[in-house]
Amino acid sequence: MAHPSQLGFQDAASPVMEELLHFHDHTLMIVFLISTLVLYIIVAMVSTKLTNKYVLDSQEIEIVWTVLPAVILILIALPSLRILYLMDEINDPHLTIKAMGHQWYWSYEYTDYEDLGFDSYMIPTQDLSPGQFRLLETDHRMVVPMESPIRVLVSAEDVLHSWAVPALGIKMDAVPGRLNQTAFITSRPGVYYGQCSEICGANHSFMPIVVEAVPLEHFENWSSLMLEES
Amino acid sequence: MAVEGEEEKTKSFKLLGILDIQNTPCAREAVLHGSAASILVGLGHFLATSRVKRSFDFGVGGFMLTTLGSWFYCRYNNAKLRMQQKLIKDGLKNKVMYEGTSLDPTRKQNSSQGGGS
Repeated sequence: MAHPSQLGFQDAASPVMEELLHFHDHTLMIVFLISTLVLYIIVAMVSTKLTNKYVLDSQEIEIVWTVLPAVILILIALPSLRILYLMDEINDPHLTIKAMGHQWYWSYEYTDYEDLGFDSYMIPTQDLSPGQFRLLETDHRMVVPMESPIRVLVSAEDVLHSWAVPALGIKMDAVPGRLNQTAFITSRPGVYYGQCSEICGANHSFMPIVVEAVPLEHFENWSSLMLEES
Repeated sequence: MAVEGEEEKTKSFKLLGILDIQNTPCAREAVLHGSAASILVGLGHFLATSRVKRSFDFGVGGFMLTTLGSWFYCRYNNAKLRMQQKLIKDGLKNKVMYEGTSLDPTRKQNSSQGGGS
């Protein structure tokens, strides 16, 4: 999960997020080299003794500073498009969950087999137990089986929201009257936190998302328990 | 564990404030190769021509090309390794799950070898 003064991404918990991390490293190296070149050119320009100010054209440098940026953009675009299409692959999900945004909480519906639905409210700061995270914990988590493809259908009941879990590399807008689909596979068991990512009113910052990935038998036990409680 | 992880992250060294060479795979290697090439090319050019500014230009050019080349080579090998690790992990999982059943992947291979001989 996120830690204070963090600048980079969280550790990846899904294959797509791993690919995004690697793409980010690739692009950052290109940006670093461009920055180094620009810095060097600035120093060279400031320290030059050349004073010819009447050069009107130069074919060679024009070709260089047209072709080089085009090559750089292609080097960035190809891996980017690869990941874009990877994210859209049809992956035959084992489970479909509906995540509905409300003001100001999320509700989850597991309706593949039984009719299971519950609300997920943020735990207020004064009710937190020691070790829990402020503004991130919820009373009910979205529990999913690990290493299984999961489809999430995101929508909203009132205004725009956005269902985002950075560790899984997911962000999907929740639009009233529209069903948006996203999918993920968790590579390892764990608890992954996210927050609403579309301004939705006074408590927009206080409707977090918690995804808990557990082994299949634990998921079955949890869903039986939740059905009994409801 | 979380505290140790945070300590490792706070110790990260970022070149130009952006590139974390300690935690980014292949970054340290690429920058070191680039720096070595930059020194060699720049020094070599200066020794051959005694032109200081042009030698610096060659040094920077050498740094950029070598860093990029080393980076792509290392990342390509890294990606191949990760693919192989994924295949091995999936293979082990399938072996454990389907051992003794008709879907056992090793059983299929053995039966096809037996049929051929």
